[in-house]
Amino acid sequence: MSGISTQSTSASRALELFGAYSPIALTAALLALVPLRYSDSRTMMTVIIIGMVFAAYTIAFNIILGSTGQLFLCTGALAGIGGFTSAILTSKHGWPFIPSIVLGTLLASAIGGLLSWVAVRRSLDAIFTGVVTLAFSLSYENLVLGRKDLTGGENGLRVKAAADTILTTRVAPYYVFLGLVVVYLVLYRLIERSHVGWAFRSLRDDEVAAELSGVNVTRYRVYAGLIGSAMLGLAGALFAHNREFIAPTTFAFGAVDVRVLVMLVFGGIGSMLGPVIGAVALTIVDEALVDFAQLRIMLYGIVIVVLFLGFRRGVVPSVAALRERLTHLGRRSTPAAVKPPGSTPRS
Amino acid sequence: MTILRLRRVEKHFGGLPAVAGVDLDVEAGEILALVGPNGAGKSTLLKAISGLQPPTRGSIEFDGRRIEGMGAHDVRRLGVAMVLQTPRWFESMTVEENVALGSLFGSVGRRPSLSTARGHARRALEFVGLADRAGEDVASLTLHQQRFLELARALAGEPRLLLLDEVMAGLNDTELQASIDIVRTARRELGVTVIWVEHVMKAVMSLAERIVVLNFGQVLADGEPREVMTDPHVVSAYLGDEIDIHG
Amino acid sequence: MKAVFLDGIVLGLQMGLLGVGLTLIYGLGGVLNLSHGQFAVLGAIVMARVLQHGASLWMAVPLGLLAAAAVAVLSDLTIMQPVYRLRGEARVLLGLLLMLGVGTIIDGYLEWKYPIEALNIRISGDPISIIGVPMRVGSLVASAIALAAGAALFVFLRYTTFGRATRSIIEDEEGARLCGINPALVRTLIFGLSGALAGLVAVSRAMTSPVISTAGVELTILALIVAVVGGLGSVSGAFVAGVLLGIVNTVSAFYIGTYITTIVLLAAAALTIVFRPAGILGRRA
Ligand SMILES: Nc1ncnc2c1ncn2[C@@H]1O[C@H](COP(=O)(O)OP(=O)(O)OP(=O)(O)O)[C@@H](O)[C@H]1O
Ligand SMILES: [Mg+2]
Repeated sequence: MSGISTQSTSASRALELFGAYSPIALTAALLALVPLRYSDSRTMMTVIIIGMVFAAYTIAFNIILGSTGQLFLCTGALAGIGGFTSAILTSKHGWPFIPSIVLGTLLASAIGGLLSWVAVRRSLDAIFTGVVTLAFSLSYENLVLGRKDLTGGENGLRVKAAADTILTTRVAPYYVFLGLVVVYLVLYRLIERSHVGWAFRSLRDDEVAAELSGVNVTRYRVYAGLIGSAMLGLAGALFAHNREFIAPTTFAFGAVDVRVLVMLVFGGIGSMLGPVIGAVALTIVDEALVDFAQLRIMLYGIVIVVLFLGFRRGVVPSVAALRERLTHLGRRSTPAAVKPPGSTPRS
Repeated sequence: MTILRLRRVEKHFGGLPAVAGVDLDVEAGEILALVGPNGAGKSTLLKAISGLQPPTRGSIEFDGRRIEGMGAHDVRRLGVAMVLQTPRWFESMTVEENVALGSLFGSVGRRPSLSTARGHARRALEFVGLADRAGEDVASLTLHQQRFLELARALAGEPRLLLLDEVMAGLNDTELQASIDIVRTARRELGVTVIWVEHVMKAVMSLAERIVVLNFGQVLADGEPREVMTDPHVVSAYLGDEIDIHG
Repeated sequence: MKAVFLDGIVLGLQMGLLGVGLTLIYGLGGVLNLSHGQFAVLGAIVMARVLQHGASLWMAVPLGLLAAAAVAVLSDLTIMQPVYRLRGEARVLLGLLLMLGVGTIIDGYLEWKYPIEALNIRISGDPISIIGVPMRVGSLVASAIALAAGAALFVFLRYTTFGRATRSIIEDEEGARLCGINPALVRTLIFGLSGALAGLVAVSRAMTSPVISTAGVELTILALIVAVVGGLGSVSGAFVAGVLLGIVNTVSAFYIGTYITTIVLLAAAALTIVFRPAGILGRRA
């Protein structure tokens, strides 16, 4: 491997770039075909649009949990910050569409970065991250329910700023969100290949060794919090304008966080395409079980338990690893996709 | 020139002192061996210097800067690299990537580019004799090679002070000699200062220019190797541990 | 103002009891039980169902506590076993995620079967005046329950053999094992006790306001905040933190609005983590 990159010619560099980004192109091409089948049904278009939105959420969550081991239990709340901020600014304060989305994204990012910063500078950070992010989820929900003057409380809020744009047509929004997913995937790859990605990998493998090698573990965790939360906020804001109506349930913990977690673990924590695979799979399963909607939450819980007991690396990577082990008997399988953050206590 | 200055350094764990007031001046370019019985506080002292476990009290000055409150990553970037008693590495990375990471984030001054860092890594791997293992998993290396890998990761950032914690334990004679040569060459070619915790007396006596003996968290003796190791205080501190300066 | 303060204490005692159950499990197994609130709600719904069948409170409450304890013990004996084989943060993270799964299962089940069920316990009697504030009997009984449970727990941990064994494991698991204590057995029993405590929270809470079937997540989060502010693993810390946060909660709700209370609690947890990670009673880290 090093032998090749030593004499890397421009041809081999081009080949390497192709190898890095072609999976994204292929995924995009495949997903672009989906509406061909469903474009005449508004219901089905809504289903697959929401599937894309969740793919975007899950990619963002993967940057936080998969790349840097922070269990953010507030993906819905962060998306909701983006969504409600943008919705309130446009409907109550007459802001134009784009600046409102930018502000919603920035606000989500700042909050996510702050939560990261609070939790991560201490040992026991997995616990503190869980606690502050869950507490934030509840704060967000109570704020949305309590500030009826802004959010409409339980009655929800009409969002009209994108009423005459392609975001509210039947088919085009799917491609908008597919575009968002592609941008997120490219961003994921860019990060992975930059020094930031190297820092992420090192701190996920071993925090102490990373610190000793000069990696500012706290700083890179906060970076992941900032980036992932911005992505959640942006997706949430766009989704709000697409739905034209948001309510507390749109971004509720039970509706978003649990699903996103299941999608990520199913597809494979810490892999680039895992979130997309998980989102597609779960969308299909949900649709198949549409008549048992009440059972859904319970099923998600069972899936979480089963996945974490049985397939800690994610179902897709586990199956791939199994196949690899069968074909290359004797060779080591793929490196662990997810390992909880450094397994040694710090003082 | 004094490159490292410790004053009344203490480190307590739950009220119990592991390091109990250490004063130490280290000259640039020295190879200093830190010895002492098990539990004397040697590892704790190194971790305090490296920022991994900040001292409870006292001051640590490196190259004229107070570093006792800094995080390990900042200390490393000032040019203090540490190799731990038990090897730790990044399991998702190859041997070369492990070392490149040390150059990428642990270099003094500006962060090098990825390709420069890989270049540094290859040089460092050659230096420790692991160049032919560059593309492999670290888990496939022997313990001794894993220690060399850590040494390479430390050296890849061209540090000015190297803290080594028992890197020679359990090596056979050839490996021991190779380790000694590497430390010596590193000092000659990079001018690095070395503080080195070691139980293998044969290696200590052949490599160290100065020995500091730590006992119950305090400096018991400090000076020329032969002088120190025949000091009756030192001999009695080691009672029970075998001490064999002639190897 | 005095009334707000007293209400805060009533709420705080419940919150303390909630945090204690969570902190006990954490201290013993390093597991942050993200379904603690769901255990409480499960107990509440069992009680509500039993009461609807015409049984008395004396029948319903033990059954509810038993149900909560049983689910807790079951979790410990089954899915928590692989967790205990891990160490450090790997254990923490897996424990957290699995209990999140369990909590979700309970939430989903209750939402499916009993979406509008609630536990309401009315205790009749004229208000009793405390420092000039008329307090409802329900509030007083609820506080008495929490205080009695706290005191019983204190006596249990300090003066019984089993309690001392528990404390020794919280302090030093390896050492306790060497003294012939079986950590696994103690852990299982404490899981059960913690479940029962969760059920008791439901009982005392139901005397002041209805416990609805969807309250699980909120109760879990309150428990987490109390346990963190009190210092994870510290039983007395959890009680003190519970009372303090209860007062903070009612005061901020009174002067600003209910929606602000969780934000204030979140801030309390964040400040604790930043400035006193070992909790309000803990030594500075
Ligand atoms: N993280 C810790 N928590 C509590 N006590 C510790 C910790 N690290 C070290 N100690 C204690 O501090 C003392 C010094 O330990 P240290 O590891 O520095 O000794 P050492 O000289 O390196 O010994 P060895 O030769 O065995 O490596 C010992 O009594 C040890 O038990
Ligand atoms: Mg040591």
